[in-house]
Amino acid sequence: MDWTWFHRLGSPRWFYEKSSVWLPYLWVLTASLLIAGSVWGLAFSPADAKQGNSYRIIYIHVPAAFLALAGYYVMAISGAVGLIWRIKVAELTMRAAAPIGAVLTFVSLFTGAVWGKPTWGTWWVWDARITSMLILFFLYLGVMALHNAFTHEETANKASAILALVGTVNIPIIYKSVDWWFTLHQPATIKFTSESTIDPSMLYPLLIMVIGFYALYALALILRTRVEILKRERRTKWVKALALGSA
Amino acid sequence: MHPVRKQRLIFVVFVVVFATVAIGLMVFALRENMNLFYPPSKIAAGEAPVDKSIRAGGCVMPGTVKRSGENLDVNFLITDGSADVKVFYSGILPDLFAEGEAVVVNGKLSESGDFNATEVLAKHDENYMPPEVADAMAAAGNAGDGAQHQKTCEVISYDS
Amino acid sequence: MTLRILQGPSSMTSDSLSTAPATDTAPLEIPDINLWSGFAATFKRDITVAFRSRGDIANPLIFFLIVITMVPLGISPERDTLALLAPGMIWVVALLATLLSLDGLFRTDYEDGSLEQLLISPHPLYFIVISKVLVHWLMTGLPLTITAPILGVMLSLPNQGYMPLIASLAIGTGVLSLIGAIGSALTVGLRKGGLLLSLIIMPLYVPVLIFGASAVSSASEGFPFVGQLAILGAFLAMAMILAPFAAAGALRISVNG
Repeated sequence: MDWTWFHRLGSPRWFYEKSSVWLPYLWVLTASLLIAGSVWGLAFSPADAKQGNSYRIIYIHVPAAFLALAGYYVMAISGAVGLIWRIKVAELTMRAAAPIGAVLTFVSLFTGAVWGKPTWGTWWVWDARITSMLILFFLYLGVMALHNAFTHEETANKASAILALVGTVNIPIIYKSVDWWFTLHQPATIKFTSESTIDPSMLYPLLIMVIGFYALYALALILRTRVEILKRERRTKWVKALALGSA
Repeated sequence: MHPVRKQRLIFVVFVVVFATVAIGLMVFALRENMNLFYPPSKIAAGEAPVDKSIRAGGCVMPGTVKRSGENLDVNFLITDGSADVKVFYSGILPDLFAEGEAVVVNGKLSESGDFNATEVLAKHDENYMPPEVADAMAAAGNAGDGAQHQKTCEVISYDS
Repeated sequence: MTLRILQGPSSMTSDSLSTAPATDTAPLEIPDINLWSGFAATFKRDITVAFRSRGDIANPLIFFLIVITMVPLGISPERDTLALLAPGMIWVVALLATLLSLDGLFRTDYEDGSLEQLLISPHPLYFIVISKVLVHWLMTGLPLTITAPILGVMLSLPNQGYMPLIASLAIGTGVLSLIGAIGSALTVGLRKGGLLLSLIIMPLYVPVLIFGASAVSSASEGFPFVGQLAILGAFLAMAMILAPFAAAGALRISVNG
């Protein structure tokens, strides 16, 4: 198998130049998916039988929650790639992924609270999923805090990559423990079958929004990685040429 | 043996031993009932402790809810399809409580096998559907009392 | 058994160096590099150092005691309320006390340079870390476990709760020390590592706290608690494999950059 593409990734410059080509397409894709999904979901899909219109927050809440968790794995995997193969772009991606993931986790917690008020009558409950999300948020903050504490960039990247990996091993354990703790303390234990069902007329816009959020995540990640690349390579000739050329 | 290889061997043995211990303890723990939750079949089988605060849950069997005319006393049967338990409760039932819906009850089991609940909680519904669909389902009459209820409770046959 | 090895790279280039003495090629006797010797030597040294500064052992205990004293003052001296809170409170405070002491796990070794010596020594770092964590546990986790029943009395913990309290703390604080070693290793090079250490490690303590506190509280209500203890034991075995590995990697990064 040809691995040159993989090794090329080691060059931030190559990544920067290639991503400039992809970016416009990604912008268009993200914007069209998000617009289509939200217009369909907010205006055309029917109201829920029990919850009325308040369920529509699902179109932000669920995709954000998906990406919050997936983002942690993106962060940890790029951290691992950076540690093992010493690929600079991977280290920078890891650095870029942490704040995006933290924001998405916050968005899913916040929208969950807003949704909880009309449906459960309270902003916050110590539900298993909510509690796990909160802990995920703390894990993100920890990785960011650790990275910021180091003055030396290389050490910061490696150290936060290790923390991210340790977190990855822990996420399933934390999730399971919180789930068990919740069933011990809270009422909703009956789960003979746990699949929730959603009507197709509501599902399709949700799927579009999920894909749209994936695209948005990729876009944000690439944009932030590009910023990190420029910051890191600011003394190199090609960045200087880029700056002079665009000025 | 070459010292480096010996070191590696000891390391591997170390990892294997602890991994085995971890898995063994996990398997042991999963066999223990830790969450104090007893479905009616376990209560009927006598596995639940008497006179200790435990939690039971199941579907409210349709036609068994009996309310007292004078006070808030109510009793009903909960079932998981294979056995049922009589629950006594005194208090206001939650809005979502209905026959054929899932409930969780906290309380103590009496000597006679009845459950004296101190709290009755209705299971949060996880289905999303537009009102037309809900109406259609109600019209089809497949759900008996409520337009939509917990799938788990739908699949149970209440004849037993 | 002793191992005879050449004296490192200088002996190989000795032919090209005219100034190199002829004795350079003589093999050097060095002690057997087995896992046990590195482990035992680190253990002995750390225990000695720990006993010379006994105040550091007492500090987490005093913290433990003072915070537990604050609970009835802050909430209610009523026996029923305290009994309900006791398992969780004792566990949370034990967790905080462990966190406070973790900052010093590698700090002094880092500052006096002995950590670098340990890193370049031929002994596997993995077992050196385990040895250091074991000493840390003996100096914090074990005393906390022994003091815990007194605090249980102060918080009127029901009688059935004491056995599981001791057992869960004995196993659980071991896991806390092991996981904490990763955080301690990551922050050892930082001047103000203490608060950051708590910040990055606390979320990872969630499972231990849940099962530890739950073992005690379900026992005090008269329910079986063996399952929770078994899970804590499983955590300990898993942490034993993975945590020293992560901590060793983190130490290399913190020291070498």
